[in-house]
Amino acid sequence: MCSDFHRAESGTQGFSCEWLDSRVSAARLSSPSLPSASYLLWCTLLARLEGRSALKEIEPYLFADEDSSVHGDILEFHGPEGTGKTEMLYHLTARCVLPKSEGGLEVEVLFIDTDYRFDMLRLVTILERRLSGGSSGSEDEVKRCLGRLFVVSCGSSTHLLLTLHSLESTVCGHPSLCLLILDSLSAFYWIDRANGGESVNSQESALKKCSQFLEKLAHEYRLVVFATTQSLMQKASAWTEGPSSAGADYRPYLCKAWQRVVKHRLFFSRPEDLKTSNRFSLVSHNLKSNSYKKHVFIIGESGIEFC
Amino acid sequence: MGVLRAGLCPGLTQDTVQLLKSRGIKTVVDLVSADLEDVAQKCGLSYKALVALRRVLLAQFSAFPFNGADLYEELKTSTAILSTGIGSLDKLLDAGLYTGEVTEIVGGPGSGKTQVCLCVAANVAYSLQQNVVYVDSNGGLTASRLLQLLQARTPDEEEQAGALQRIQVVRAFDIFQMLDVLQDLRGAMSQQVSSASATVKVVVVDSVTAVVSPLLGGQQREGLALMMQMARELKTLARDVGVAVMVTNHMTRDRDSGKLKPALGRSWSFVPSTRILLDIEEGAGMSGSWRRAYLTKSPRLPTGFQEMVDIGTWGTPEQSPTSQGDQM
Repeated sequence: MCSDFHRAESGTQGFSCEWLDSRVSAARLSSPSLPSASYLLWCTLLARLEGRSALKEIEPYLFADEDSSVHGDILEFHGPEGTGKTEMLYHLTARCVLPKSEGGLEVEVLFIDTDYRFDMLRLVTILERRLSGGSSGSEDEVKRCLGRLFVVSCGSSTHLLLTLHSLESTVCGHPSLCLLILDSLSAFYWIDRANGGESVNSQESALKKCSQFLEKLAHEYRLVVFATTQSLMQKASAWTEGPSSAGADYRPYLCKAWQRVVKHRLFFSRPEDLKTSNRFSLVSHNLKSNSYKKHVFIIGESGIEFC
Repeated sequence: MGVLRAGLCPGLTQDTVQLLKSRGIKTVVDLVSADLEDVAQKCGLSYKALVALRRVLLAQFSAFPFNGADLYEELKTSTAILSTGIGSLDKLLDAGLYTGEVTEIVGGPGSGKTQVCLCVAANVAYSLQQNVVYVDSNGGLTASRLLQLLQARTPDEEEQAGALQRIQVVRAFDIFQMLDVLQDLRGAMSQQVSSASATVKVVVVDSVTAVVSPLLGGQQREGLALMMQMARELKTLARDVGVAVMVTNHMTRDRDSGKLKPALGRSWSFVPSTRILLDIEEGAGMSGSWRRAYLTKSPRLPTGFQEMVDIGTWGTPEQSPTSQGDQM
């Protein structure tokens, strides 16, 4: 961000922010003493920094004992099918878009959907259940909450990369956008492997560039990025109880560039014998401090509730 | 999407393409991720022109973000719930098959998967008066059984014939035929949306295992990639055209534990949004036509629910009150 700041000050067109351009040109038309591009840039930064403290409460159960802020971090949700990863994303989305009066954070969320799995009806159900005031007045309230959500669908890993590049201007133009969700990053894994020929590098190149760009986006614009990856590979051995074994169960198959940018990894699982109950468990692995923490939650009509 | 060539977008001339190629920028991705100041210096092109070119390429090739409220408005008007005609299955599915989603019926041999598909086709064609596309990949569909199901619903031969005409049967016996069929369907259906006559609302694929399992095992990569491509086609069909897709899958034995599990592996398990498992119910005093249906995956209901269904009675429409609550 610093280099862009300097370039904007010096007047060269290094800053590709359309919102900023439009503001500057509008200001130029309306008043003779226009605010400089650098001043507007500073206002954007300030708006984003002020929203930062609010986002530390994005999910107190998960991030309560984080000594460092999660802003600018990339968190990975990993687990087999049916373990609650997508539900957790809806829960976090609902917490972000709900108004402050209902216990939410009133910030904007960008949801990137790579395999057509975004279930709007489920999200609306969760919002309706969480809004107080009954179903009569909540239709408008739900619409207002949904107005803070942006959904993008991608069809391939190069499409995802190009979309991330173009979303940079969206992120720029919405200073209250603090959360970026990617569901899921591993959707193109097998197709990429087949299309890349024999070289592993060319197979992974698009995903590598996506990971690097995601890190840049998260770092420059102080976003929190949640990405889900599916457990596509067979377990090497039977899963045993205990937080440290979650690391043993995890078989990394995505490119090294992705594994480098992830700061927290959350492993989702569901105990086999309790198939009929709704209890799910998740182990949160903080890669910076190498600590593990276990959480248990249930999924109800109104989404996830921590136990 | 990929290689830069003249005319790909306004402002991209042959000279520009050649200059960029000489500096190693051959694809759209290369240009978008390059440092444009650097490129402008090395290629001798104008920086402003490159920035404009980048914007146009991004606008053309990247996805557009939709606002959640607009998306919800659109979904409210276009989503439909189609009853399967079997009351207990409807209960598990939360009133029926939802358009825009892929529902999977999984079970061992003889558990009634094809019977469920035929029953759904007959119900949608006759009771709901909508068109059905039935993709048959293992030869399980017989028109005489469909006629039998329709005869049990109405004695009027003209109505039976009308309902049969609304069921379109396509056969696909390997993965490439299946991909062709799905792509053709999507193309034909997106043009048909404007027509006033009954549109296709359900696509049944019986079964996906028959076309995919010959590809799996051994050299894994291409087989899995083709399977995921088919999965994408099915989901795109469901979402873009607004149909309910129903697929059937077989069971296989787990390598380590020996337990039965749905076939096609972990990668496929993420594809359907709802999964119902049919199991043959054995017990004293039960005739051979009883099946137990378990809900093993659902985006709306908690899993673990089960219902008993008697496939012997599927020839006759049910008298239970739940079948009256058909929503469309």
